[in-house]
Amino acid sequence: MSGYRFPVGRLPDEALLSGLAAGDPDLAVIFVRRFQHRVFGVAMAVTRDQQLAEDVAQQTFERAWRHAQIYDSRRGSVTTWLTTIAHNLAVDAIRARRTEPLAPEDLEDLLDAVTETPERWALADEASAQVRSALARLPREQGRALMMAGIYGMTARQIADAERIPLGTAKTRIRTAMARLRTTVASPERGDHVQ
Amino acid sequence: MSSEANCEKLRQIGAELALGVLPGRERAEAVAHLDQCADCREYVRQLTLAGDRLAGLLPDREPPPGFETRVARGLAQPTAAPGGQRPAGVFRRSRRGLRDGARRPRVRLAAVGAALTIAVGFAGWAVGTAVEEVTAPPPSAVESEPVLVGDMTPAGHGGQPVGELYAHPGTPGWIFVSVALTRPGTRYTGTVTCFLVRADGTSVRVGDFPVRDGHGNWGVAVPVDLTRYSGARLTSPDGTVLATAQLRKGQVVTPKT
Repeated sequence: MSGYRFPVGRLPDEALLSGLAAGDPDLAVIFVRRFQHRVFGVAMAVTRDQQLAEDVAQQTFERAWRHAQIYDSRRGSVTTWLTTIAHNLAVDAIRARRTEPLAPEDLEDLLDAVTETPERWALADEASAQVRSALARLPREQGRALMMAGIYGMTARQIADAERIPLGTAKTRIRTAMARLRTTVASPERGDHVQ
Repeated sequence: MSSEANCEKLRQIGAELALGVLPGRERAEAVAHLDQCADCREYVRQLTLAGDRLAGLLPDREPPPGFETRVARGLAQPTAAPGGQRPAGVFRRSRRGLRDGARRPRVRLAAVGAALTIAVGFAGWAVGTAVEEVTAPPPSAVESEPVLVGDMTPAGHGGQPVGELYAHPGTPGWIFVSVALTRPGTRYTGTVTCFLVRADGTSVRVGDFPVRDGHGNWGVAVPVDLTRYSGARLTSPDGTVLATAQLRKGQVVTPKT
């Protein structure tokens, strides 16, 4: 029948998303297979609860399927788009459910994981490596405040309570850390996305 | 409070606003200021961009066994209606039920999807280069699906492709078009109409999509038998042919799991 074939691993993310939007069941499988590790990883890092993370990840794919029409590649890759959806859903989930305070060791583990080592930076894309490097160079207390706000969605008041510091200090740590991160993020054109 | 004072205050709380952690009243005041101040909007946009990069650093994780199957089955149950409309309630409710309406108060534009067309992005021409000619049938360890693909070439210019078109026969079938009409003499901004062309030269209009500064990406479900078509044509509203494609038969090859 055919003189050509497409190794599925090389089908572009955007084409897969288009097929998903059109209701193609085969491409739905491929789409989920390609992005499940990323989506579940984000959900698990934020919720630290496997069952909740699975629900968040499932909801993420549903959102992607429902909102594929508004995906715009000029505003970020499919991976970035899915990561943003998963992160927002995960933060919503823990805000709705979490009653226990954030365990200090969990925060430290996550901060270590996202800053990694120079050898691992070399394997990442340049933009991520720059952010990783900037995060690693932050004073530890600023990095902690940034992770609590940026990853776990904690307010300055919640951070102040968790860190046993004045509210103004928590705000200053968030602001200073974000200012440094902002100067690191060079490209103004890609990375953000609406869902 | 003066405008300068509002800007100064915004710079104090912009990071929290961008991260979606600013409490309601402060957030409302900040958003009201952003509505009036382009400089502060740009400042917060940059902070939001930086904040979003944080989630991108989180490590990938292996999902639990069966996750892929469960999710894909849920997505694939009722397929989208022709034209890309989606049935409601396709996805089964999660076991523990997330708050569907909850949303972090990020500073984002509230985009509303158009119902009938599927505007998707496509960053490059990787698919065209991924077409592999084969002399032997696919190995038995793979599943394959038919697909049609064609390079879009500019009308009257020939030469290098300016885009691609995929057509995936099925129920429904779907097509995906991506063009970059950016070469001298081909740059175009406006509405483009896509036609599928049969071997006898007759054609059927599939739909319209926007092209800006030469760039356009579009996907749509189509309730026709795509195997009956051998080409595609993109035209401007006045009928000028912008690009054409000859479709070749191919396969999407999926390893069996």
